[in-house]
Amino acid sequence: MSGNLEIGISREDGDKAVAIMRLTGPLDANTQGTLEEKAREAIDGGAEYLLLDMSAVEYLGSAGMRAIHAITTMLSPDEPGMRSSRLRVVSPSPAAAKIFKTLGFDTFIDIHNNVDEAIASL
Amino acid sequence: MVFKVVADLGQLSTIREFVTETATALGVDPAVFDDLRLAVDEAVTNVLTHGYDGSGDIELDVSADGSDLIIRLSDQAPPFDSTLTKSAGSRPPELKEKPGGFGLFLIERAMDKLVHRKLDNGNELTMIKCGVIGGSAASDTS
Repeated sequence: MSGNLEIGISREDGDKAVAIMRLTGPLDANTQGTLEEKAREAIDGGAEYLLLDMSAVEYLGSAGMRAIHAITTMLSPDEPGMRSSRLRVVSPSPAAAKIFKTLGFDTFIDIHNNVDEAIASL
Repeated sequence: MVFKVVADLGQLSTIREFVTETATALGVDPAVFDDLRLAVDEAVTNVLTHGYDGSGDIELDVSADGSDLIIRLSDQAPPFDSTLTKSAGSRPPELKEKPGGFGLFLIERAMDKLVHRKLDNGNELTMIKCGVIGGSAASDTS
């Protein structure tokens, strides 16, 4: 089992500039920085919205949630209460979805079943 | 079964794998494997980032006590700051600019009992998951 997180990024530049980040591997304290770095690059590259496709994330822990929290702040630095409308999460595993709920992240981040549904919600 | 290693964050994946393999060998209900991996990952991460400066000796002892699973994590880091071992409470940590406390909050929800103990030259955290060995799990993992 690899401890690395691989991130593939594609763009959908229609009405809105969207970066779709497909994550493969664990999202833990060892890989948290990789996700934050790639998200920062996408935002600096012009992305206004980010989709995190988590269907191939084999493990999610609190460090991964801190990275996701950091991304909401990157996307909406002036938005009070860290409630980002510019981030969508797609297909987390049942274990990962449980962590979103346990930590209350499901109250301010929309979670979708697939990428098309997430894009349609923007 | 005991796993001793000079650990760093790059070994978290291997440590989670050890938990899965050991729990399987002990006949633990697979429905709680995610909880066990989460609790151990968070506990080891806390030791490495708060106790050590990123890397240090840890020992993970996973055993059965009747139908209960006992996971004992010991380290040789300076004694825990008591604020790090105090219960995280019933509500998720507040979301501020740099949120903290998520790890302990998740451990408390994943496991049934936690016992912290200061050793002469380190710390020991015992995490117990009740009623998960032999037959259907008695523990609520919903």
